[in-house]
Amino acid sequence: MSPGGREVTITIDGREVPAVEGEMLHDAARKGDVEIPYFCYEPKLGDPVGACRMCLVEIEGIPKLQTSCSTPVREGMVVHTRTEQVKEAQNSVVEFLLVNHPLDCPVCDKGGECPLQDISYGWGPGKSRVIDEKRHFEKPIELSPLVAIDRERCILCYRCVRFSQEVSEDDQLQLIARGDRTYVGTFDDRPYVAPFHGNITDICPVGALTSYTYRFRARPWDIEHAGSVCTLCPSQCNVSFTVRDEKVKRVVARDNHDVDDGWLCDRGRYGFEMFDTPERVTGPRLKGGEADWEQALEAVATGLRAAAGIDHTQVGSNSDAPSRVAAIVGDASNEEGFLVQRILRDALASPNIDSRPSRGPRAAVLRRLAEPDVSAKVPDIDEADAILVLGTDPLHSSPILDLRVRKAIRRNGAKLVVATERPTALDGGAAATARYFPGEAGLVLSELGKCLRGEGHEVDLMAPLADVLREASRVVILWGERVAREDGAAEALLEVAAALGLAAEDGSGLLEVPDTANARGLREAGCLPDAGPGLVETAAGRSTEEIRQGLIDGEVTHLVLFGADPLRDFPDTPAWEEALTAADFLVSFSMHENATTAKADVVLPLETHAEKDGTVTHPDGRLQRVRPSASRPGDIRPNIQVLAELASQLGLDTGIDSQPTAFAALTAAVPFYNGIGETDIGGRGIRWQETSSATNLPEAGPASGPGSPDPPRSLSADPGPDAPLTLGTYRDLWAGPVTELNPPLKFLTPHQRLEISSQDAQRLDLKNGEAVRVSQNGSSVDAAVLIKERISPGTVFMAEGVAGANANALLNGGPVQVKIEKLNEARA
Amino acid sequence: MPHRLEKRVLLEHASEPALRTLDGYRRLAGGYATLERSYKEMEQDEVLKELEDSGLRGRGGAGFAMGKKASFLPRGDMPKYLCCNADESEPGAFKDRELMQRNPHQLIEGIAIAALAADAGHAFIFIRGEYDEQADILDQAVAEAYEAGYLGTNILGCHRDLELVVHRGAGAYICGEETALLDALEGKRGNPRLKPPFPAVQGLYGGPTLINNVETLSNVPHIVRRGAEWFRGFGTEQSPGTKVVSISGGVKRPGNYEVELGIPTRELVYELAGGPEDGHEIKAFFPGGSSSPVLTAEEGLDLPYSFEAMAEAGSMLGSGSIIVCDDRVSIPHLALRTARFYHHESCGKCVPCREGTNWTVKMLERMVRGEATPMDLDVVSSVQQNIIGHCLCVLGDSMAMPVGAMVRKFREEFEQVMEDPDLVLDPHAVVRGAPETLGAST
Repeated sequence: MSPGGREVTITIDGREVPAVEGEMLHDAARKGDVEIPYFCYEPKLGDPVGACRMCLVEIEGIPKLQTSCSTPVREGMVVHTRTEQVKEAQNSVVEFLLVNHPLDCPVCDKGGECPLQDISYGWGPGKSRVIDEKRHFEKPIELSPLVAIDRERCILCYRCVRFSQEVSEDDQLQLIARGDRTYVGTFDDRPYVAPFHGNITDICPVGALTSYTYRFRARPWDIEHAGSVCTLCPSQCNVSFTVRDEKVKRVVARDNHDVDDGWLCDRGRYGFEMFDTPERVTGPRLKGGEADWEQALEAVATGLRAAAGIDHTQVGSNSDAPSRVAAIVGDASNEEGFLVQRILRDALASPNIDSRPSRGPRAAVLRRLAEPDVSAKVPDIDEADAILVLGTDPLHSSPILDLRVRKAIRRNGAKLVVATERPTALDGGAAATARYFPGEAGLVLSELGKCLRGEGHEVDLMAPLADVLREASRVVILWGERVAREDGAAEALLEVAAALGLAAEDGSGLLEVPDTANARGLREAGCLPDAGPGLVETAAGRSTEEIRQGLIDGEVTHLVLFGADPLRDFPDTPAWEEALTAADFLVSFSMHENATTAKADVVLPLETHAEKDGTVTHPDGRLQRVRPSASRPGDIRPNIQVLAELASQLGLDTGIDSQPTAFAALTAAVPFYNGIGETDIGGRGIRWQETSSATNLPEAGPASGPGSPDPPRSLSADPGPDAPLTLGTYRDLWAGPVTELNPPLKFLTPHQRLEISSQDAQRLDLKNGEAVRVSQNGSSVDAAVLIKERISPGTVFMAEGVAGANANALLNGGPVQVKIEKLNEARA
Repeated sequence: MPHRLEKRVLLEHASEPALRTLDGYRRLAGGYATLERSYKEMEQDEVLKELEDSGLRGRGGAGFAMGKKASFLPRGDMPKYLCCNADESEPGAFKDRELMQRNPHQLIEGIAIAALAADAGHAFIFIRGEYDEQADILDQAVAEAYEAGYLGTNILGCHRDLELVVHRGAGAYICGEETALLDALEGKRGNPRLKPPFPAVQGLYGGPTLINNVETLSNVPHIVRRGAEWFRGFGTEQSPGTKVVSISGGVKRPGNYEVELGIPTRELVYELAGGPEDGHEIKAFFPGGSSSPVLTAEEGLDLPYSFEAMAEAGSMLGSGSIIVCDDRVSIPHLALRTARFYHHESCGKCVPCREGTNWTVKMLERMVRGEATPMDLDVVSSVQQNIIGHCLCVLGDSMAMPVGAMVRKFREEFEQVMEDPDLVLDPHAVVRGAPETLGAST
């Protein structure tokens, strides 16, 4: 289907239109500014189905009218879209569509933004000849807890069904019954629950599928659409907020092929419902109670100044003692991160800043990973011959990439290979999979490198994956940031990239799936312990885990958390509990109240991504703009202003007072962002690798490092019957405030489960659903047993961030071995 | 004895029960000799040329030249398929049932030889679920053919393979549409696919696929045995060969009659099928199953029964199934019954067929209840026009063409019924079902 054909010229309605041989006539017409009405056609959903018959046109030489959605263009084709014959066909298709349509436009949410309405008006006969009874269905009914279906309005265009079957591949939606009794439904009327299912409300061309979160909340004439970027995960999908009375009422996709392909996950689509929950921090607060901004900022400035030993008449520290101040940035824009690191480095003379939940590679390695040559961009996945998914499950960590990989396999025949600790949602489509023990990503990477260089053995775990990768010319490696928590793993990854020659092949490269939404932007803005803006080496400070240890040891006393909640999101909750308790002064910038804000001396509110103005950097280097769309509730101020004010109180004149000045300062400070303007970013973003500043990336430095780890044991070895169980953890898509504080999504809040192989379950006499207590070094978490066939014996998995049963409580920075006891026996 | 007007080729020896067995087929009809010769001595192109030269037109309804269709299949090593369409579902058609029931090996031999022409390694007979008895007969015959080495691997030591599977359909009319048949065979919902790509290029499991009707394939051994010239000795220039014609409805001797194409229709209806029952006149007839536009007796009875003559008269030969309506038949009720069938069987994929069939039924129901006005007749006519040529497959046309023709040709009768619905004494006096007998011979 990919029209790589030659340029041809066709004639549409007497006008010559350039086209590409083999592309669908409908697409060529649209590009040539000829509007042909349609309902079912949507190239994103796969091959055309030709069901709605709305796009019939006359083609000279063919007696019958043809559907333009399914007719490939040929040189010299002469097409008519406005002849009497075509008009009659269009009239009659509209008339047929309305035979059974209830025409309840006045009470239909789609009214005013409805393709059926528009096309009836533009191409219909303008009068009705139908006096017969219409077909009836019970309506509306729950297709899912989030989507209502009105089967009377449905025109059976197949879009939602094709989405379910050919895009998200959950296969839950089906057409049931036949003829005009056909309806869209699920097997046995079960609720359609799947992570991307909200997209069907976007693609439905009538009011048959509507979101419960939007039904009867607004009409198209009292809303505004505001384009922005979703920052609930690193996918950074482009969205459009539907805003009424300055409140977000709906989130719809804003198709950007380079980022999201026009799809959204349900987290991004329905996440906005947590913006206005009672748990939202709506103003500054001191430990004693509410405060106004002046008091709060004064308290922060005073506290930090004391710790840094600053004489407030001059900028910077006048002491040579190691700084006792530290900051960790979590969910923040590039500008916010940039300002926080300036405050730390320039106002408080502290190098202790990080933006990673745990550990990560040294700045020198990060620079090598950032080399444009070894980087892949999202659309490269579409064209890849082979894709390696390494140490991440895109469905949980960057959902939209899960769809992208599925598309590459389905449409382009890409070969997928998966190497992960835990089974992924993509395993079913993989040509080869490899399971490794938690903490052994570096090991499998060095083994993969060996296999690729021909140094491996045929029996190696990674050999089948290497075979697939070696055959491919364009290879994209999707790798999870947490792989690089292991010493030497990032270096081993670079060696794999080198063995595959990714740098030399266009469309090949590495694409990181980070743990946090703007991980790349924050690193590049300077929120790293050993690098400032632009990954430029600086005096080494403390990393996240060193900050934690410093707090416990009393070497760090003052901590600023900006959009970070260590007690939920960071590994080793008990240590963080101890560290935050030990802190003399804790400032927490937070969107919602949580366990961390409860410990804070000062709590300052954060804007949501619907309220914020700023830029973020996509994992593939694309700078994107988050635009303010909704009003800030309560006494929330723009984060940029708050940080600039704080800097100024600390004696640092940043020259920043607004988003434009903050952005200008950022792009001036990051060498490879130099010269990028807001208009370059526009609505679609721009990859810095594709600007002339890309060459400003600092030298990577020597490739040496700790080197590949020694293989301590065989990966595929049988762990033996009495082997301890190694715990692996993953960030569940639905764990966190996005479900817990969100009434419509609450039903998706995960419960902790202990995922275990059937062999281990049998050995420990565990049954599905059984309650167990999982413990490690004095901490324990309760969970229900879930036996999974694809889990390797010897490993068990639990989700991070689950309220009340957070697997982070069991971690201590490396692979841990856990003890499992049945809960009913423990109680007895 | 067959009637003098019959010309039995496919139905030769059909009254012998032994024909069903492999031994009987070999003994009575010289069966499988042609398969043996073609597999041992003929190249793909020779078989193909014979079929093309014969001018054999598809007997399933569309009448497309069979050899030509087979020649569209691309050459190469990819898997290719042959599907025999035995989903005979058109009201009025019952000839494939007879052919499979009485002479299953003729079909199997035809499939094997056609597979040679198509270079297909896998063949399927997609038989409608209701033809349970015939499917059992085919199963048995296929097993015999495997045992005798006419199917399977290395057939007759010629290093050619052919697997043949009898697949029972689940009872949807639409699965007789060739692309819906492919979807159903693949285990999907039986909905027609967009064409192009045509099945010859991209059919079953994406491979080149030749799809032919039972009767078409049953002709193949005869053509290859006796040559294209012999075949062209029957019928007309544009409609060569013989045709098994199913005649049902208001005639004395309904049944299947094999005749040369081009025979006067009147001879078929009056001499072979015995004409209308005593005291009744023929009012109209469908020349090619319920989806063909009706012809009035005056229009149609004196036409030669050939593809071209029926097309010229604005109807079609279709699958070769004549449904005779005598003067007791109420055309408005017949139109409603026809529309109901296609409404019931519409798959619902494309709009004009899904909504057009349902709307037509509703309007016709109002008419026979006397709740319509002559203006509604114009709407019915115009709706039929709006369906024709606008659908994804021909199912919509299959209702719109006959219903449109009935309203056009019998408008007065519709007006009378709307005026006084009680005038119709027996709304069920439409047509009778298919008989169990073989023409006039039994």
